[in-house]
Amino acid sequence: MSGLAFHDLHKSFGAVQALRGVSFTVARGEAHACVGENGAGKSTLLKILAGIVRPDRGDVRLDDVPLHFANPREALSRGIGMVYQERLIFPSLSVTANIFAGREIVGRAGRLDEAAMRARTRALLDQLHVPISPDVRMEHVSAAHAQLVEVARALAFDCQVLVLDEPTTSLTDAEVDHLFRVLMDLKAHGVTLLFVSHRLPEVFRLCDRITVMRDGAYVGTFVKAETTPDTIVRSMVGREPPARVERSATSATTRPRLSILGLTRRPWFEDVSIDVRPGEIVGIFGLVGSGRTELLETVFGLAKPDAGSVAIDGSAVTLRSARDAARAGLALVPEDRQRLGLLFNLTLRHNLVLARAVKTGARRIREAEEDAVAREQVANLSIKTPSLTRLPDTLSGGNQQKIVAGKWLATAPRVLLLDEPTKGVDVGAKFEIHNIVRNHAAAGMACLMVSSDLPEVLALADRIVVMREGHVRGELSGRDATEEAVMQLATHEVEASA
Amino acid sequence: MKKWWHAREFSTVAILALEVLFFTWYLWPEPGRTHPFLNVGNVLLIFKYSSIYGIAAIGAAIVIISGGIDLAPGSVIALTTVITGFLFVEHGWPLWSSALVGLLVGIGAGFISAGLIVRARLPPFIATLGVMGIWRGAAYIITEARFYDLSAKLPRDWHLAGISVDWLGPIVMIVLAGLFQRLMTRYQWGRSVFAVGGNETAALFSGIPVNRVKTSAYVISGLLASVSGVVLAVVQGQGKADLANGYELDIIASAVVGGASLAGGRGSVAGAVLGALIFGVLRNALPQIPGATFYDRLIVGVVVIVIVVMDQVLVRREQ
Repeated sequence: MSGLAFHDLHKSFGAVQALRGVSFTVARGEAHACVGENGAGKSTLLKILAGIVRPDRGDVRLDDVPLHFANPREALSRGIGMVYQERLIFPSLSVTANIFAGREIVGRAGRLDEAAMRARTRALLDQLHVPISPDVRMEHVSAAHAQLVEVARALAFDCQVLVLDEPTTSLTDAEVDHLFRVLMDLKAHGVTLLFVSHRLPEVFRLCDRITVMRDGAYVGTFVKAETTPDTIVRSMVGREPPARVERSATSATTRPRLSILGLTRRPWFEDVSIDVRPGEIVGIFGLVGSGRTELLETVFGLAKPDAGSVAIDGSAVTLRSARDAARAGLALVPEDRQRLGLLFNLTLRHNLVLARAVKTGARRIREAEEDAVAREQVANLSIKTPSLTRLPDTLSGGNQQKIVAGKWLATAPRVLLLDEPTKGVDVGAKFEIHNIVRNHAAAGMACLMVSSDLPEVLALADRIVVMREGHVRGELSGRDATEEAVMQLATHEVEASA
Repeated sequence: MKKWWHAREFSTVAILALEVLFFTWYLWPEPGRTHPFLNVGNVLLIFKYSSIYGIAAIGAAIVIISGGIDLAPGSVIALTTVITGFLFVEHGWPLWSSALVGLLVGIGAGFISAGLIVRARLPPFIATLGVMGIWRGAAYIITEARFYDLSAKLPRDWHLAGISVDWLGPIVMIVLAGLFQRLMTRYQWGRSVFAVGGNETAALFSGIPVNRVKTSAYVISGLLASVSGVVLAVVQGQGKADLANGYELDIIASAVVGGASLAGGRGSVAGAVLGALIFGVLRNALPQIPGATFYDRLIVGVVVIVIVVMDQVLVRREQ
């Protein structure tokens, strides 16, 4: 069968079986999705394809010819381009230099042919409708455009098969639309797509067939027209998702636990006022760049506001650091757990007790107490790990996120700020995290959550505050809100001015 | 619970033990003669020599664990001997107050390095490289090519509380190593140093006062360098601007051989002192091997690389 075939792949890392006999074929010219929870073996599969990891058994074949790549560059020379989940960019180099990094076009005596590379880059950017100059440095390119530059890099050399690993995690809906238009266009020109993702709506939008993996094994390949997202989720998780925790609505007369009044930090946001009552979950929705993350960080004392105030249970607080915030009863689960949340050199236990120690101000370390605190969080959040003396990088994304949440829940906060709480976690962990938030709200915590995941906001929030360009543009009750109503508020002027 | 033989310090002890065994065997004397390496006088000599940079290596390890680097200790040691000597010899101050001013100089030097790094946001390598030149230069300006002879004013064969002053360095080193090992492993401050070195932004987001933690690391490094300086001035009886020249590299190498990672977030104070002893033994034993005198620096360099490579292999196997 013509196309890209994975044939009986086995791979073990020590005692962990990452792949146990995976076979499926991506037919020429189709858009094929590969889905599965974290730890399902998708990354290992891609690493084998790129030649970074060697399989213990089995091989990959392109049009029935076995491929044995020694490195990603060889894969590229055979027409297989890859867009990785981690950004592989050189921030201080130009777009052109990034696209041709390691594969520069050279003239006589090894001199770089800048003109040729620049022209090719220009053509690629035009093809992908990216309105940036080939000469601009990557550090000045937005996340969405950077993602498209990665696609351009994969396409730069006659690419027949384009592999994308979670390409939309940091993109807004409008940017995803653009990326998908580009991908559909490529598909129309005969490029085969292999799309690896967590996001089922996107998978259903883009792909013709969907292969599901679970625990390193192949579960099945489904034709889009003949299946439903529910079927796919069930085969990914291998069990029914946990039941949704129900809670009663809070009364509107209760005094707000968190009051943000006229908070301003230029140029990020201006005159933002939000009240959150005990037991309430308020969702902040907005596109990237609408000032949501900056708002949470300012409320948390990590940046100084230009104007406005924050009050907790009716008394105004001045917070100059995360420590002040922790002591005032605030907690922030930040957006980027790798960069802002986890200490990779400390054990899970030490990660879990860090914020609590800051809050209590204890000088001596008491092992028994730390152990008890950490174990409580592991039990409450059902964190899956064989031992608390492990380092965070041994955990899946979902469990890492729970460690970051647990670190702050161990401080017994009154106000919980959440920034993209389920970004890059698998479906099962996502449901669990939602229930954790609901449980803590039900116990009287005030939760303020920023999320770009609209279904998530609709599922969790009692009220939805929509931000656009640093201003609050409207507020909807969670019960009555629809995707269309929220999106309209979030994008209104952007669409009008475009 | 982690097994004790999995502790990083254990492998450093093992290397030190192997080294001692090797030289004991290699330098085994003819019957009837004392062992040139394994005798009380020589062991004291090794400890005495190693303690000068071993004390400073404790501070260097803390700075490295916090994700920084301190190139200033060698110069701070020299400046401390000069200031202590200047007050004690030229101005006739008592020894204890001269030494106290020497220690204050070290603390001040630490605050200046920390200010350049935390407030002026200079990279630690650049900030301490500049500071290193400034303190060395200050020492030369004060002494003007002379040196202060403390030994003339100190009692001969001096004993403090019944112990020969030769033991001052080793005792101070072991006491400080014990103290800081405890602070780094049993106290929240030490945990914060590891957190800042591991991921500075995440530490900040966790509420750790990152700037204060970094400042404390450089101030401790400056203070411990000046403790080395006072010990050197008293034991060697000199205050001189070109003392401890190039020690910053031995000090950093001791910390690294003892398990400190220059990427930050990993290392140990006890390891740094053991690292200093590993170098002390090498420097002491190699010149006793006929023909090896000129290989001393080369072998020391090779040993640094071999030990760090071994360490990385072990870490990789653990994962």
